[in-house]
Amino acid sequence: MASLASVAQAQTGGASTGAPATYTSRRTVGITDPNAPVIFEDVTDKTPLANFRHRSGEAAKDYIFETPSGGVAIFDYDGDGRPDVYLVNGSTSAAMQGKEKAPRAALYRNLGNWKFEDVTDKAGVANERWGFSVAVGDYNNDGRPDMFVGNFGVSRLYRNNGDGTFTDVAEKLGVARKGWSTGASWGDYDGDGRLDLFVPGYVQIDLANLPPKPTGAAGQGQNFCQFRGVAVMCGPRGLPGEGDTLYHQKPDGTFEDVSVKAGVNDPEKYYGFSSAFVHVDDDKLLDLIVVNDSTPKQLYINKGDGTFEEIGYPSGVALNENGREQAGMGLAVGDYDNDGRIDFHITNFSDDSNVLYHNDGDKNFTDVTFQAGLGEVSIPFLGWGTSFLDFDNDGWLDLFVVNGHVYPAVDAHQWGTSYAQQALLFHNNKGKFERVGAPPGNALANAWPGRGLAVGDLDGDGRLDLVINNLDAKPVMLRNVAAATGHWLGLHLVGDVSKKTPRDAIGSVAYLTTGNVRQRQDVVSGAVYCSQNDMTLHFGLGAATKVEKLEVKWSNGTVEYFDVPAIDKIVTITQGKGVVR
Amino acid sequence: MKHSLKQFSLTLALLAVAVSVAAQGGATILTGAELTRVIPTGFYFQGLSAPTQMRNAAAARFGTDRYVISGLVDTSGYSTDVRAKYVGFLITDSAITLNGESLPTGAYGFGFATQGKMTVMDLAGKDLFSVPVTNDKDLKRPRPLMMSADQGGVRLYNGKDYVVIATK
Repeated sequence: MASLASVAQAQTGGASTGAPATYTSRRTVGITDPNAPVIFEDVTDKTPLANFRHRSGEAAKDYIFETPSGGVAIFDYDGDGRPDVYLVNGSTSAAMQGKEKAPRAALYRNLGNWKFEDVTDKAGVANERWGFSVAVGDYNNDGRPDMFVGNFGVSRLYRNNGDGTFTDVAEKLGVARKGWSTGASWGDYDGDGRLDLFVPGYVQIDLANLPPKPTGAAGQGQNFCQFRGVAVMCGPRGLPGEGDTLYHQKPDGTFEDVSVKAGVNDPEKYYGFSSAFVHVDDDKLLDLIVVNDSTPKQLYINKGDGTFEEIGYPSGVALNENGREQAGMGLAVGDYDNDGRIDFHITNFSDDSNVLYHNDGDKNFTDVTFQAGLGEVSIPFLGWGTSFLDFDNDGWLDLFVVNGHVYPAVDAHQWGTSYAQQALLFHNNKGKFERVGAPPGNALANAWPGRGLAVGDLDGDGRLDLVINNLDAKPVMLRNVAAATGHWLGLHLVGDVSKKTPRDAIGSVAYLTTGNVRQRQDVVSGAVYCSQNDMTLHFGLGAATKVEKLEVKWSNGTVEYFDVPAIDKIVTITQGKGVVR
Repeated sequence: MKHSLKQFSLTLALLAVAVSVAAQGGATILTGAELTRVIPTGFYFQGLSAPTQMRNAAAARFGTDRYVISGLVDTSGYSTDVRAKYVGFLITDSAITLNGESLPTGAYGFGFATQGKMTVMDLAGKDLFSVPVTNDKDLKRPRPLMMSADQGGVRLYNGKDYVVIATK
């Protein structure tokens, strides 16, 4: 078995990213349990997603921009009630120079019954730039979800034309962000009913002046390109970070950069990876969390005057419980303990645990990672996409985490970790998490170089399914086949723009009560890791056969109560009009 | 307006208490412009100058004009071996003690390679001495590096672990 000598505790000053330790086995691959239940089935090869190949630079991973791509979105772009899938692709240096064909992103239309059609060409969303992230939001309130695609280079805003096609309007509307754009989030921070856009920046890279390759690094005295004494790609530490950008949408539908004025421009230039507009203090204003690699996380409280106050340190979110900076990657947003407040789960580098922040109220958070059962198990993994989901519909949010290392060299050494890694599924037992084992031969027994993750009920059976985007590999589509699941309810919220709620209801919160359990689900854009979950809110009801109370706090701050006529289905609720189907 | 004045008076009173507390043991913890004025933006150690993590730097004034300055540095430029032992610097312009161990005026590196101990090194990376750290398990909101006033001088924290700095 592995020796856990010191690991994360040995880290002192900076982010915990790899304290040397001695191991006798890899703990990130081949861990199976013959008694574990079958929860997910890999159905990728039955779909055209099997033909998608993500590509990001060369296999050697000499440069940092070759390692963190890319995201995935589940969203119903054509409004047929079946969630579709968009996969972001990376690129190559040769493609960037026009010397080879650029890798393409892909959009798959859900035809039902696990049949998908590749509609990328028709839709015009191939991107063909070095893609990292996707965030969905109906920025023009026309009822058709649009996509911001964050690139290394110039980002895109794909406007949904409503006829199966999209048009890139980023330049025209003022959001063609340059640099390295990562996990973006849409949200109406100023309550004008129009979505605004936040985009974190990661690292400043000059392709004409790249850091040395690992093979040449040692000879040039570039010791910062080492991991456990082995030459690896350089960064992010030692490389200049990039600031973040907040785009405010003006009444004419164009956007203006208000980052500095709003106080969210990140003058320290931390290495931003994930973000989400969420209600931290549950007033009517959307707050903002930014997860940074190797630097403190930022938590911005919306002051209601167009500006934010950064409270990462005093809130407890900036660091872990021991006061350490961590290498934050992905972000899960959800009320895992059903106390009515939003909590955060954040993935980190290997040799450090992921972190679970419990929202104590009054803008205070406590790192409860180890008490909740999420600490020790996550240490050998390098985590990316993370999402709360109630996979068994018992009314408690479970957790899914995808993993994969950034250094191919880890497979050549016995460091207890690996390049491709198993995903982690945790069952939530009333606030305490327990890893769900992987039956031998099952999807969860496989190891992938995972990055992006998206959750949605792809077949409408009331069980949440998953799509994972893997680095330099084909994606994975996981069908939820869990045998013992409870009742459920899906909510599709539609905001009233005339009341200054965005049409897609981003920023709205639903509270659902069955028995003595009151659950909360938020309509969130972004988070996970450079990815987008389906915005249909999914509640597991357990054995309950009726909903006693359903309360929706719309993003404009108004509250409505609804009767739920039936369960085990998705219902649409329109602000001011009630349940319409 | 009245409310603002009341708030301002309260702030002044709180500040006075804070300064008084900080001044116990003759030490004042520096903040704001006073702090940035004394923290070097980089530090030389064992063949390289590395940038200071300004967010993780702290300083204290003993009496009227004696300073102890400390900060974590971005060690990413160092080899794995050096990174394992070196995390930051300590500069003192008077003789001090660290948990009772004497340290003359000078600039030093430090690290926590041995669990539960802080090791002080000269600029060539040679170990000078190690002192045990104390774990302050009740500390709320620890930081990678910070100072706080202590009856015997100043506590230099690394996370929840600290050593006590005092003038000689």
